[in-house]
Amino acid sequence: MSQTISDQIPARRLTSCGDRSCEWLVDPIPRPAPAAITITLQPRQPRVTFIDHGKPNSAIILGHAGEILRARGVEVADQILLKPDASQRMPAAMLQALAGEPGLVLCGVSD
Amino acid sequence: MTDSLVADIENCLENGWSDGLPVIPPYAGLVDAMLAAMGWTATEIVGEISDQQIRVRAEHVAATAVMAGCKTAYGPLLRELALAALDPRFNLSGTEVTTGGASVTVFVSGPVVETLGFEHEANALGANNRANATVGRYAQMLRHFCGRGGGVLKCHGTIGHPGRLSFCVAEHPSTVWAPFHTQFGLPAESSAVTLMATEGPNSCNNHYAATGGAVLDTIADCMAHFGQTNWYYRSGGFVVVLPPDHMDLVRQEFSRDQARAYLHEKARRPTDDLIRVGRIAHAPLPYAEVEPGRPRSPLKSPEQLSFIECGAAGGRFSAVIPRWVGSLHAICRTIPNL
Repeated sequence: MSQTISDQIPARRLTSCGDRSCEWLVDPIPRPAPAAITITLQPRQPRVTFIDHGKPNSAIILGHAGEILRARGVEVADQILLKPDASQRMPAAMLQALAGEPGLVLCGVSD
Repeated sequence: MTDSLVADIENCLENGWSDGLPVIPPYAGLVDAMLAAMGWTATEIVGEISDQQIRVRAEHVAATAVMAGCKTAYGPLLRELALAALDPRFNLSGTEVTTGGASVTVFVSGPVVETLGFEHEANALGANNRANATVGRYAQMLRHFCGRGGGVLKCHGTIGHPGRLSFCVAEHPSTVWAPFHTQFGLPAESSAVTLMATEGPNSCNNHYAATGGAVLDTIADCMAHFGQTNWYYRSGGFVVVLPPDHMDLVRQEFSRDQARAYLHEKARRPTDDLIRVGRIAHAPLPYAEVEPGRPRSPLKSPEQLSFIECGAAGGRFSAVIPRWVGSLHAICRTIPNL
């Protein structure tokens, strides 16, 4: 499938022009109303922080990746952070703390 | 069927208002009737997925029920089902996007089964019956519509299973053991709807067992095959489906609690074998409580095992429904006035 995510977002409104009159169909899909966010495209410091999201072998792979990066002269945080539950969203406090991280945060590596 | 109705159905399909199958277009008049049956007004907030800034209004839910083909008579059940699905403990969005390809599996028990005409005998896990099919579909559509952040999240299910289109199981109105919902703290006389995120059912065929123990041994073996998802995290559990012919044997030797304890004890494999075939991570998390040299259960505790009595007489097929490891909670709600 070559569609992008934006191609796949469901329509917000559909109209029926039936036999008698036109009417809107009721949208079954709740939409997010996010607050404004700031996206940083480049880390402010050349430093990498790893997050083990709790899936199998994540810690091993990240540890190995850390060794490779250090050997190449990249600063890597000593501690690999651990997300408490693989299938649940990261706790808000952890997310907030990472939002202030000036370097690159890498997660989602496993198996 | 008029051309305009066909056009509306196509319009829904082409614009992402569908689970992949044709839907009843959510005309306002139909949605209003469903809202009334559910006891809600259109703009009431009935649930939130706060970390995605999603607020679910009653009209979203009612439109989904119409689209799934539900009758308005199901309204009280559909209301409780929606509240269960949107309970933050259920992890609806996780169920939608997981690589595990889980369904929102619906269990209906108590007087509501007969009142609304659910099939609880023939093909109980996949009945060609309106109540089962449309209520099960409604649950999956809620997952699909509400769990994807308005469409910006992608589903990552590796293979999924057919229950992601519809999966609703109704228990016999009269049961040998206490009704299904009593395992989750509700009174026996209640009508109830229970949601779990699950994989598809694993069939357990044993036509020549002479004892209840042999039936449970067969089920235990099914729970303990190498490919079972629950070996590592062990946070899911299982629902054991017992039809009448197997139940007739099991009931002679076991109460429900005894059967639960028996399966918890019997469904084990050597941890070292699980490590050898790759079912345990090389550097297991403390949460996984891996103990080399000891037998391992796919359950952390016997309470992760529940039983439902359904299916037709005349065949000896039980089933095990593995619960998705990311949904730690079964959400069970009383259905008032049914």
